[in-house]
Amino acid sequence: MLSSQRFRFDGESTDSETTMYPAPFRYHRAGSADEAISLLAELGDGARPLAGGQTLLVWMKLRFDEPTDLVDIARIPNLSSIEHDDHQVRIGALATHGRIAASPLARLIPIVHDCANGIADRQVRSRGTIGGSLAAGDPSCDWPALLHTLDAEVLCQGPDGERTIGIGDFVEDLYATALQEGELVTGIRFALPPARSAGAYVGFKRCAPAYPTASAGVQLTLAEDADTCADVRIALGSAGLTPIHATAAEAELRGQALNETTIERAAEAAVAASDPVDDQRGSPAFKRAMLRVLVRRAVGIAIRRCNGESVEHSHEYY
Amino acid sequence: MTWVGKSLRRKEDDRLIRGRGLFTDDELAPGMLHLYILRSPYAHARILDVDVSAAEALPGVACTLTGREVAELCDPYMQLAPGPAANIRDLPMAVDKVVYQGEPVAAVAATSAAIAMDAGLLIEVDYEMLDSVMDVEQSLQDDTVLHDAAGTNRVWHGVFDYGDVDKAFAEAAHVVRIDRLHFHRYSSTPLENNACVAEWTRQGTVEFLCNNSFPGFAQQLLAPGLRLRTDQLHIRTYDVGGSFGNKIWNYVYMALAALASRKAGGQRVKWSEIRTEHLLASGHGNERTFLDTEVALDANGVLTAIRSRHLDDCGAYTRYEPLGCVIWSQVTPATYGIRNLRIDFTQAVTNKCPVVPNRGYSRMQHLWFMERVLDICAHELGIPADEMRLRNYIREFPYETPNGCIYDSGNYPAMLDKAKALIGWDDWQKKQAEARADGRLLGIGIGTTLDSGTNNFGQAQIMNPDLPFSGNSEVATMKLDLEGQIVVCLGTGPSGQGHETAASQVVADELNISPDSVYVRPGFDTAWNTFVGHSGTYASQFAVTGLSAVHGACQKLKAEMRRLAAFMLEAAEEDLDFCTGEEGPELRIKGTDRAINYWFLSNLVNNNNAMLPESLADVTLNVRHVYRPPFKVPDTERKFGNLTLTYAAQLHIAVIEVDRETGRPKILAYSAVDDCGKVINPKIAAGQVHGATNHGIGAALMESFNYDEIGNLLTSTFSDYCPITSMNIPDVQYGNIETPSPFSYNGAKGMGEGGGGPLHTIAAALQDALFAEGIIIDDSHHSPSRVFDRLQEPNRDRRVSVRSG
Repeated sequence: MLSSQRFRFDGESTDSETTMYPAPFRYHRAGSADEAISLLAELGDGARPLAGGQTLLVWMKLRFDEPTDLVDIARIPNLSSIEHDDHQVRIGALATHGRIAASPLARLIPIVHDCANGIADRQVRSRGTIGGSLAAGDPSCDWPALLHTLDAEVLCQGPDGERTIGIGDFVEDLYATALQEGELVTGIRFALPPARSAGAYVGFKRCAPAYPTASAGVQLTLAEDADTCADVRIALGSAGLTPIHATAAEAELRGQALNETTIERAAEAAVAASDPVDDQRGSPAFKRAMLRVLVRRAVGIAIRRCNGESVEHSHEYY
Repeated sequence: MTWVGKSLRRKEDDRLIRGRGLFTDDELAPGMLHLYILRSPYAHARILDVDVSAAEALPGVACTLTGREVAELCDPYMQLAPGPAANIRDLPMAVDKVVYQGEPVAAVAATSAAIAMDAGLLIEVDYEMLDSVMDVEQSLQDDTVLHDAAGTNRVWHGVFDYGDVDKAFAEAAHVVRIDRLHFHRYSSTPLENNACVAEWTRQGTVEFLCNNSFPGFAQQLLAPGLRLRTDQLHIRTYDVGGSFGNKIWNYVYMALAALASRKAGGQRVKWSEIRTEHLLASGHGNERTFLDTEVALDANGVLTAIRSRHLDDCGAYTRYEPLGCVIWSQVTPATYGIRNLRIDFTQAVTNKCPVVPNRGYSRMQHLWFMERVLDICAHELGIPADEMRLRNYIREFPYETPNGCIYDSGNYPAMLDKAKALIGWDDWQKKQAEARADGRLLGIGIGTTLDSGTNNFGQAQIMNPDLPFSGNSEVATMKLDLEGQIVVCLGTGPSGQGHETAASQVVADELNISPDSVYVRPGFDTAWNTFVGHSGTYASQFAVTGLSAVHGACQKLKAEMRRLAAFMLEAAEEDLDFCTGEEGPELRIKGTDRAINYWFLSNLVNNNNAMLPESLADVTLNVRHVYRPPFKVPDTERKFGNLTLTYAAQLHIAVIEVDRETGRPKILAYSAVDDCGKVINPKIAAGQVHGATNHGIGAALMESFNYDEIGNLLTSTFSDYCPITSMNIPDVQYGNIETPSPFSYNGAKGMGEGGGGPLHTIAAALQDALFAEGIIIDDSHHSPSRVFDRLQEPNRDRRVSVRSG
């Protein structure tokens, strides 16, 4: 799941790439969130929480990270539930991508299925967790972009107690989040989309172990007349150093009739908000061209879903 | 009942599916040590100091190895190149200088792989960085020289001049000039990485379990390198998870494992490569640039002459090179009747991973060049793709090429017809017209290619007249074992091609028994005495060399069995039939029920021989046959001679649509027609065609080794290199025709490499899609990002010019 690229700094070599075993570390298993938090506090800044391990273990094998201690939180009860009431959805941090994809929630809210079912491959999806993915702060991960689209809140618990952080404030920079030392992501919360609202999340990727080259999420609410956009959220993944909330693109659609012209304007605005990096997946110009297509496509699928059509979609290999 | 030609279920699969195979990394033994190789992070640097003291102090570490120690214990590998490049000192570990990123600089053997890695990271190496040479044209300037002992980066240069090129250009109706084409660097990334287990015994021999795919050659490099006789090496392979040529030079790593075992006092040492090491430093395919190409054509678009300058980038060491400088000439005119060619060929080193033979080795690069040339000419002259091919194909066989190679058989127009039928050619022509009317970029491309098999190693002498190589050979040994079983040993060392199955089919037909009664030992083992210097699986030759050896061994064994049976049954040899009776395989007197079974025959020789007469004293029921194809040493002055025995052919058609907005090429339809002469096992052959096709599609659209300007490999993980997976593979319509080879006993031609068909075909389809946009397809790699960039910046005006009249 890791691109060596991102750890290369110009003028320097790609060092320590040919490792496959982590440096020695101590392993602890926490029985509860409280225990995990106190263990992390006690063990200091060399300790990391281990959930599904699909990012952390890879980093450790490549020696990008050499923690002294791992606090295994994977067996903490009650952190992997996927539930909703009439207003709100709540997903436990330890819910795996695979379980989310197979959940009744994913059937109810297709955009969640689009995202969860397209992450990496089946092996990764059955181990990797939504909380771990979010805490990694990787701009290419799918969940942060999706959760921006759904305007989610991140539930955290740390030595100072519990708090809720809006997704926009949670991811601060490349691999940097608002999490404090010893603080865990315990869950995700977002409002159940209202009637006449539906979304789509689409990504282009080269192969299963590669992150998407670019992705876009759109959550659209239609007005009574069914042709006008009442509300919309648009977010982009792999489009900059953090997921991008394309507010200018939203403004092109909100309150407007949905037609080729307005959608194209929104796509343009989304592209203008993006700042993709040059890497082995493509040049910035190429990624912008992809983002334009992705936004258009996501809006199109969202409109069809708003109108009650069932559209199967997931990441597209190219 | 004949078994050859049937899709017999693979004998190998039973153990593989049940998890009972033995791949090298499966080997475990108490006390086994694990080797970690520390590799250079720099592409070009001087090694000032290597300090292993901290590594050696780590508990669990048995020993370390440094380049200086390796230089004391080893002799440099034989160099194949003539001239200054012969002075390149190639040792399994860098001594004073590293010349590519990933080159071994030190190693640690420890009680676990994890401890070895921890220790390896404690080794301190001081480097002084040097300027990197990352481009072949820059390399040839010799401003920075990689190998001081050679004094130049140029490895090899030669001119291949056939026919009367100047006259053909003087008489040409059209001359097309293409200033530059480039074939990119990729490899085959076999599922199983390189691995070996080595034990330097107290008797001074070395035991190897490994996955080398050309053990005949490896022994000849390893033994002198380690200062041993070849007989002191015991090399074994068992199950090997693919090679595609890439595992030919893992003898370099076998040497390091052996030296570590020696230093550790004879403990067994395992080295198992990880994927990033494989991508960085296990061998890449040859990268080639074609400059200043000029093509002469007559008024009908028939190619009459080509002159061109080819620069091959072989990476940091020569290893199997410069053989690639000649091997392409097995297919000099490709599938076309062109008689006049002048190719000025140069190879140079650069600070990249050394190259290794890679599926389609060297011929593919040249075939891609020829296909691009023909295809670009067709577009420039406005001749339809199929028509252009039909006007240029070779039609009479056997056909002697301008450089003396004999194409054994073929029928390219029939393959074209079949591929068209499979893909629905006429229908796609209509759809293309409609798509174009809508402004869509839809292209249809044809690629015709050759998979030349069974090398004449005499071609090495064209490259270096002093090399003591020529011809080719392969061995099979066969015996009637104590209990009457047929046991066959192969010299081929397969890597997944189903040799046990195919050999069983041949034996079954020869003895008129069931393939179930034939046991073919898995893998390769020098202790079987079933090898020659050419032994291995490479260059598409098993169906000819391996099976001819098996066939020959059958004849020898049968002759002995017939003599024995004739004596015991008191019958004439010619009255005996090989058949299967109630008690299993036997020899029977024709038209009677008098027979002798295999157990009885074997027992006579092995346990009960007092009754045998003196006239049967030479019968052992244990035979060895060496097959030698009928080759002559080529004329090295003229660079002329028959370089390969058989020429399997592939013809592919692709329909591709390029998304105008993002440049994404999408394959809408694909057909692949194969002609490998007589097919031994259709299912295995089809599997190889699908495999080669998918790999070629991956190579064209996804897989590429990209370096930055200072020599960092940017695609050193599968996330970046992106080998093709089932998620990217289009539905391939497969078909075949059979034009039996007149040069093999069974009519078969070697196959499996596939000649890079998809690289030619996808380039042609993209050309067809993008020609109207002013784009010339000048590279073999077409990532969507690259196609997108090309759409923004058409290149036809600067790439190609046409002079007519």
